Amino acid sequence: MTDFQQQAILLAAQQQPVSWLQDFRARAANDWLAQTWPTRKTEHWKYTPLQGLQKTLLPAFGQSTELDEAVNSDLIPLDAIRLVFINGVFSAENSTQAECVVRFSEANNEQQLLIEKYLGKIVQGERHLFATLNNAWLGDGVLLHVPRAQHLEKPVYLVHVATGEEVAANQRLLIVLEENAQAEVIEHYITGNNASSGFVNALTEIQLADGADLHHYRLNMEAEHAQHIGAVHVDLQRNARLRGFALALGAKLMRIDYQMNHRGPGAELDLQGVYLPRNQQLVDYHTNICHWVPHCTSNEVFRGIVSDSAQAIFNGRIYIHKDAQKTLAELSNKNLLTSNKAEVNTKPELEIYADDVKCAHGATISQLNENARYYLRSRGLSRAEADVMLSFGFINELLEQIAQSAVHDYLQPRLARLFGRELSLELAND
Amino acid sequence: MLAQQKLKFEFTVLENYRTKKFMLRITDLFARVEEKEIIKGLNLTINPGEVHAIMGPNGAGKSTLGNVLSGRDGYQVTGGSVMFNGKDLLELEIEERAREGLFLAFQYPVEIPGVSNMEFLKAAVDAKRKHAEQPELSAVEFMKLARETSKRVSLDQAFLKRGVNEGFSGGEKKRNEIMQMMLLEPSLCILDETDSGLDIDALQVVANGVNAMRSPERSFIVVTHYQRLLDYIVPDYVHVLANGRIVKTGGKELALELEEKGYGWLETGAV
Amino acid sequence: MSEQVEQLIKKEYAAGFHTAIEAETLPPGLNEDVIRFISAKKNEPEWLLEWRLKAYHAWLEMTEPEWAHVKYDDIDFQAVSYYSAPKSMDSKPKSLDEVDPELLRTYEKLGIPLHEQAALAGVAMDVVFDSVSVVTTFREKLLEAGVIFCSISEAVQKYPELIKKYIGSVVPQKDNYYAALNSAVFSDGSFVYIPKGVRCPMELSTYFRINEQNTGQFERTLIVADEGSHVSYLEGCTAPMRDENQLHAAVVELIALDNAEIKYSTVQNWYPGNEEGKGGIYNFVTKRGVCHTNAKISWTQVETGSAVTWKYPSCVLRGDNSVGEFYSVALTNNYQQADTGTKMIHIGKNTKSTIISKGISAGKSSNAYRGLVRINPGAEGARNYTQCDSLLIGDKCGAHTFPYIESKNPSAVIEHEATTSKVSEDQMFLCQQRGLDAEKAVSMIVNGFCREVFKELPMEFAVEAGKLLEVSLEGSVG
Repeated sequence: MTDFQQQAILLAAQQQPVSWLQDFRARAANDWLAQTWPTRKTEHWKYTPLQGLQKTLLPAFGQSTELDEAVNSDLIPLDAIRLVFINGVFSAENSTQAECVVRFSEANNEQQLLIEKYLGKIVQGERHLFATLNNAWLGDGVLLHVPRAQHLEKPVYLVHVATGEEVAANQRLLIVLEENAQAEVIEHYITGNNASSGFVNALTEIQLADGADLHHYRLNMEAEHAQHIGAVHVDLQRNARLRGFALALGAKLMRIDYQMNHRGPGAELDLQGVYLPRNQQLVDYHTNICHWVPHCTSNEVFRGIVSDSAQAIFNGRIYIHKDAQKTLAELSNKNLLTSNKAEVNTKPELEIYADDVKCAHGATISQLNENARYYLRSRGLSRAEADVMLSFGFINELLEQIAQSAVHDYLQPRLARLFGRELSLELAND
Repeated sequence: MLAQQKLKFEFTVLENYRTKKFMLRITDLFARVEEKEIIKGLNLTINPGEVHAIMGPNGAGKSTLGNVLSGRDGYQVTGGSVMFNGKDLLELEIEERAREGLFLAFQYPVEIPGVSNMEFLKAAVDAKRKHAEQPELSAVEFMKLARETSKRVSLDQAFLKRGVNEGFSGGEKKRNEIMQMMLLEPSLCILDETDSGLDIDALQVVANGVNAMRSPERSFIVVTHYQRLLDYIVPDYVHVLANGRIVKTGGKELALELEEKGYGWLETGAV
Repeated sequence: MSEQVEQLIKKEYAAGFHTAIEAETLPPGLNEDVIRFISAKKNEPEWLLEWRLKAYHAWLEMTEPEWAHVKYDDIDFQAVSYYSAPKSMDSKPKSLDEVDPELLRTYEKLGIPLHEQAALAGVAMDVVFDSVSVVTTFREKLLEAGVIFCSISEAVQKYPELIKKYIGSVVPQKDNYYAALNSAVFSDGSFVYIPKGVRCPMELSTYFRINEQNTGQFERTLIVADEGSHVSYLEGCTAPMRDENQLHAAVVELIALDNAEIKYSTVQNWYPGNEEGKGGIYNFVTKRGVCHTNAKISWTQVETGSAVTWKYPSCVLRGDNSVGEFYSVALTNNYQQADTGTKMIHIGKNTKSTIISKGISAGKSSNAYRGLVRINPGAEGARNYTQCDSLLIGDKCGAHTFPYIESKNPSAVIEHEATTSKVSEDQMFLCQQRGLDAEKAVSMIVNGFCREVFKELPMEFAVEAGKLLEVSLEGSVG
């Protein structure tokens, strides 16, 4: 047991959790203390050692404050069911109310039963250190429940603002889509100013019943000093469909796990991701797509540009259970390294126990296409301009596929600016 | 080449040089690609307003010439000189040549997914205007210009929003090339086998675009393997490029002769 | 089709006989005395004994690696005998005429005639039987070219300077658990030295045979290719069928000095255990080569044997412009488990590596590719291309791919591709429609799947490898 583990439990004691979650928390606290802290030899933390975090003195949980006007105006302009959390604390005045969304602390009996049915069941806590911590720290959480055959008209937009104070925050989201329900969810992590070096532990569990359809976005746009550990765990039942998009700008520590379980035949998954660590930042995406049943498909594409002294880690596992015949699974991971001090470690994995499957993965670490550069220069663009355009194009290929136009229009110019480009034309359009 | 012909050709070159200001003058050019010599002593002078067709068998160095003139990496000039609008072309970077008014329409334009065609075109036009000390076009002005131009080459406006050449058919790629040529208004256009892979309708669109661009100030080098394109873009001169040099020069009727006889009789030197 | 696939073949492991020959075998167990005994038996210099003991003490402190995708019962290292030699080898025979005829018959039965007249043309062979080298053919002819090819025990006596300089220089004693064990107890193996600028006039080959019960084989191979030289080397291995698992923990070190080239090919056919997964060899091998400037090392392996394989022939591309290659076919059937692949460590500028791995899993076996491509910060312009394809035959086996790709240089270009699929029904249908039976069709398709690797083998062995694959697949279809 490490000091960090003990500290975390001391911190949990300061929370005032929902009464009916007490047992759940207590069990998790025991599990958390019993876990062995990962070392450099722990495969899952091979390239992102936790020694730094272990030495961190955990700050207290945050207090809600006013929403900074600058931050407010920098949110995605979206007609949405909006929930705002400031330093991990729910901010009622900045949020909208809707029937489908409820905080655990305000759940009625029926909703409590639903929460108890799924909470901590989609994630396998024992295999995920920080999921256990999230359970132990569970003061409150958000349930999104869409009943059978209902299609949410508006997207659900969850905004997590860190104001810059050194605080710890625990975020928990449970999404339950009943049969043939449809929804769109955007999780947006953003920092008010650049001084924050708190610690965020955010966990999302998603249950997609037969035929359910979810668009899910997880945008990590925190400041440089942030430490964020996040995870998205999903169960897809028969013919369910998930389209996911992940974005991470770098931070001091940025580790995000995606665990996808195909549990019903005919389920479909598309997951795309972009990571752009710079300076001394780090981004670590671990994705694990498990096909437990036949006739499912998964298609995963992650791309990253790693600059300065930054480090990117990508681990993409595809697991095919022996019963998962007729699986189609593909994964592609492409990286651009733009500096002598930058580093990429990528590990696409296939673990396959069924024979009648088509699975493939590819990973590249490379440079900009020489022919494309020549083409742009032959039209009068300087080498530097061409490179900027091609680098942005490398990730823009994925941005272009974002279905929600407000998210697309929000991200495209912001990310372009990271490459020193102003996109005037997209806005002048039509 | 027979001595007499050579004399005549050199006389023409000299005459042009004396009477007019030439646009492009290639003198005794040698160039290699990966240790292999492809251009071996090429001479060519082009005056403003002229259309020169360069024909020749496969492997004669036709495409190499376009790549050398535009400055592609890996194409190494080992001898000779190229003057373009009063400047030493070989001293210039790829993009400087483009901004000076040299345009290469590619045989196989590369697809660049993720880079919006519109953004790319605007950046190219901006670069050219900046070089000419003209003010940049506003986004709205540029959009208008781009839309009009795309109509001129019958390219659906939807293509402007897509990635550069991404998912374009062969014909669409070539029309995109001509559209870029119209937007950039170069003084010298090199069309590298622009007819390859085009059906007759697409060929007509491309040729109409080129013909509309013809002016006393603008010259063209039309590189082609077949005579067909020259029915649509009628050249002032036809040159035969074989084994890295120009072995015969004539008027447009030479193209017809080549169509009939092939290139064999020129390559062996038995003229 | 899958039913037919499940029913192919039931041939015996052809190399599974045991030779009744009187042997001097140490009782099972490992301690300092055993190491001293082995060292003394080989009349080794003091420094080598010290070297062994250092490895032994390191080994005692180490733990068995557990990261590989293989499962097996704990090995009782005290139940293994660490030295066994035919009695007739007490004083090493000077020529083939002095070799025990029983031994010669063993090799004839394995299809490896040792008499030079009958031997494969153009292949010189060192033959290792349990713990000792029995004979090395064509030695005089090789010596004419300046090539040294002998057992490592002999090299310790005759060329101590070369051994002292290079042994452990690529795979240090403490490199890993099995390398440490090997360094402590290695009994024999081959030594090759190719002098500057020499192109070795013939293929060199070592044939390993485990015969005695409860013995482990711990051979050590060291190949030094001096500047501008060239050598092609092949190893083969077999063992009798036994119900107990036997341990094979070898170390191979290759040194390719400036402008040298080493081509190292392996056809591994250790006893894989029976259909129920009983018996078979545990094959825990460390193979690594270092390339100096402009040098090239090419590993080609065809792995069909062993119960458990744990093996990653690797290249350290130290010199600028050096080249590393790895071509592998690994076939597992029944209860076999393989975790094999390579490491390409790019240190020098413009270093280049190619990895082609073909894994075929049948029966209830497990077959994993595990690889590392590492680009160090100084490896300007490094290139790697990796292609890993897996073929599954039947639905009770597993095929896995675990590539680690690490880059710290922006000018490097690394491409990795992997696919997994089953034998194509279209291909099967075509073959069968043209009159081939299912078994033949599968073996033909599998051979096609492996062609890229087979073409890297010396010709005689490419044919051999194809046949071996056919035999190993037996019983997997139907």
